[in-house]
Amino acid sequence: MKSFDYVITDEVGIHARPAGLLARAVKALGATVTITKGDKSADATRLMALMGMGIKKGDTITVSVEGDNEDAAAEEIEKFFKENL
Amino acid sequence: MALDYRKCAEEIYSHLGGRENIVQAAHCATRLRLVLADNSKIDKKALENVDGVKGLFESNGQVQLIIGTGTVNKVYDEFLAVTGMSAATKDDVKNAAAAQQPAWKRALKSVGDVFVPILPAIVASGLMMGVVEALGKAIPSFASTDWYAFLDMIANTAFAFLPVIVAVSAARVFGGNIFLGAVIGLMMVHTGLLNGWNVGSEDAINAFFGIDTGVIPTWNLFGNFKIGSYVVGSISRHGYQGHVIPVMIAVWLMCKIEKWLHKKVPEMIDLFVVPITTVFLTALATFVVIGPIFSTLENYVLKGAEWLVQFPPGAMVMGALYPITVVMGLHHMYNVIEAGMLSAGNLNTWMPIATAANFAQFGACLAVGIKCRQAKLKTVAIPSALSASLGITEPAIFGVNFRFMKPFVCGMIGAACGAMFGAITKIGATAYGVTGIPGYLTINNAGIYTVLLLIAGGVAFILTWIVWKEEAPEPTVEEIQKQEALEGAVEGESKIYAPIKGNAISHEEIPDDTFASGVLGAGIGIEPEEGMVYAPYDGVISSTTETMHAVGITGANDMELLIHVGVDTVNMKGDGFELFVKEGDKVKKGQKLIKFDIDKIKKAGYSPTTAVLLTNSDDFADFKVVKTGKVAVGDLVVEA
Repeated sequence: MKSFDYVITDEVGIHARPAGLLARAVKALGATVTITKGDKSADATRLMALMGMGIKKGDTITVSVEGDNEDAAAEEIEKFFKENL
Repeated sequence: MALDYRKCAEEIYSHLGGRENIVQAAHCATRLRLVLADNSKIDKKALENVDGVKGLFESNGQVQLIIGTGTVNKVYDEFLAVTGMSAATKDDVKNAAAAQQPAWKRALKSVGDVFVPILPAIVASGLMMGVVEALGKAIPSFASTDWYAFLDMIANTAFAFLPVIVAVSAARVFGGNIFLGAVIGLMMVHTGLLNGWNVGSEDAINAFFGIDTGVIPTWNLFGNFKIGSYVVGSISRHGYQGHVIPVMIAVWLMCKIEKWLHKKVPEMIDLFVVPITTVFLTALATFVVIGPIFSTLENYVLKGAEWLVQFPPGAMVMGALYPITVVMGLHHMYNVIEAGMLSAGNLNTWMPIATAANFAQFGACLAVGIKCRQAKLKTVAIPSALSASLGITEPAIFGVNFRFMKPFVCGMIGAACGAMFGAITKIGATAYGVTGIPGYLTINNAGIYTVLLLIAGGVAFILTWIVWKEEAPEPTVEEIQKQEALEGAVEGESKIYAPIKGNAISHEEIPDDTFASGVLGAGIGIEPEEGMVYAPYDGVISSTTETMHAVGITGANDMELLIHVGVDTVNMKGDGFELFVKEGDKVKKGQKLIKFDIDKIKKAGYSPTTAVLLTNSDDFADFKVVKTGKVAVGDLVVEA
């Protein structure tokens, strides 16, 4: 498992659209990605769970990636966060 | 809900690590069997979650996906089309898989390959023997009729000449000429030799050879040349009725010799040289070396096995271990012991152990099937249990019990109890390969057999019922919270009713790429006429946002619906919106959720078109938009 922390910079946090894009990006990678904030965590492909976490600008989240080729997958995901969130 | 075979095949293919990773594909009655270049390249979890795949396991180098009777062949056809592969037979797959196995496993597999194909002969004879004997017992006068004598003759044929059947099968497995194999088998039960069953009887020996010493005469091929007291080249003039291991070894050797000769001998004279040389060398080796050594060895193995199965603690251990050997694919080796017992003229006392083991897996699987609440698991567990009750345990073991482990262990305990009971009562069968309910036809005591079934199946069932608990598939913290919120809340049909009055359009027409692409799920968009969102079904609010423009509702059958008012309205930061519910609230269909100001949205430059999307629509195969155009609040718009 590989994980990294990320501070959300997007004005409105993880709302529907970025959550959807994230879910799509994760599904394409074929890895299991879990987003954790505080004591809550959610599978990144589960849109409602993700949105339910109420992640806002300035929040620090932990992203963990599990699966084949997780190093590359983690890089991809980190890139996604930087570009979109 | 019909399975989309094409989709299933495509999804399976997408998780196998690419076309070049797939060596071969075949299917049996329930499973898609794949040989892959590298089993670690596949995504097991994703494969297990493909709709239509009821389970996955690796066995004997193959990756096997349980798909189901009547379905697997259709998925297989699509799979071939998707991958562009040509059909492989089950044997091809087995061979390709075998190449990846260590030698000792290949040897054991060969034993199974020899004995499994001859099952029809054994079962036919065994069942007939069981029926004839049962009739003879039930109607004493029947035993003296011509019918009895005739049927008895038919029934014991396969056992009386078992070495021939084994020899033919072995020749096929080891790649020799099956007719030469038959010759070797026939030779070993030749009528010119004393019947192997009479080796211990002095009277029979004297009568057969016309002598009075009671000692089987020998042929001394090399005169009286001795090493110690052993006469080199001495052949005892008896046959090998009642033996199978020496036959197998002899035919194995025959095949080696034959293949070697085929390579060395010029083709022109091949037919004159190879068969005669093969038969001569094999016969010599068989009667001088292989026969005496391995028939003695087999006697010890059989004596050991018989002692073990009659000795209750031994039977208990064997019963417990039996399912593990099934998982490893080694259980066919027991057929050798069983065939040996039968051809030695004894009852098959191994069968009660196999039955106990199989019926215990039935009990465990049935417990899972009855106790579980997930429909997908139920549809696997119940039919698998039924199949196990008939003696075919692979679906139950691999599809259910072994997957959850606890039921499998409970099954082992049930098997141990049943096997011990079988050893104490010393019941036996007249065939092998028939266990469970059909075993009634071959068992010598139906009453005790019933008790054995009840013990094995019952213990496994009760233990499984107690210790096994259904686990939701990998619940995240979020899901557990949701589950708690949902406790007892939502049951019913997967139907979504219009939450807003307006003009319903398909989600592809929503003026936003993300919504239209379907990445957020399938559903509808509504161009609102009134600024009020009502609950589309009974459910629980699973998410809200501070900006109040969107709400998630979990409903019956885990429908997760997102209602997102307007496009890009997140930027309005709640201005013009009013939210009536909070996360975790239970809502009733028609309850007010969000009030919004259509004009304000338009003035801010955004479209008020509201997305109503089932975010997990992928999980609903029957998802269907049933109404578009003008809708009033409460109109049925989606069925899933």
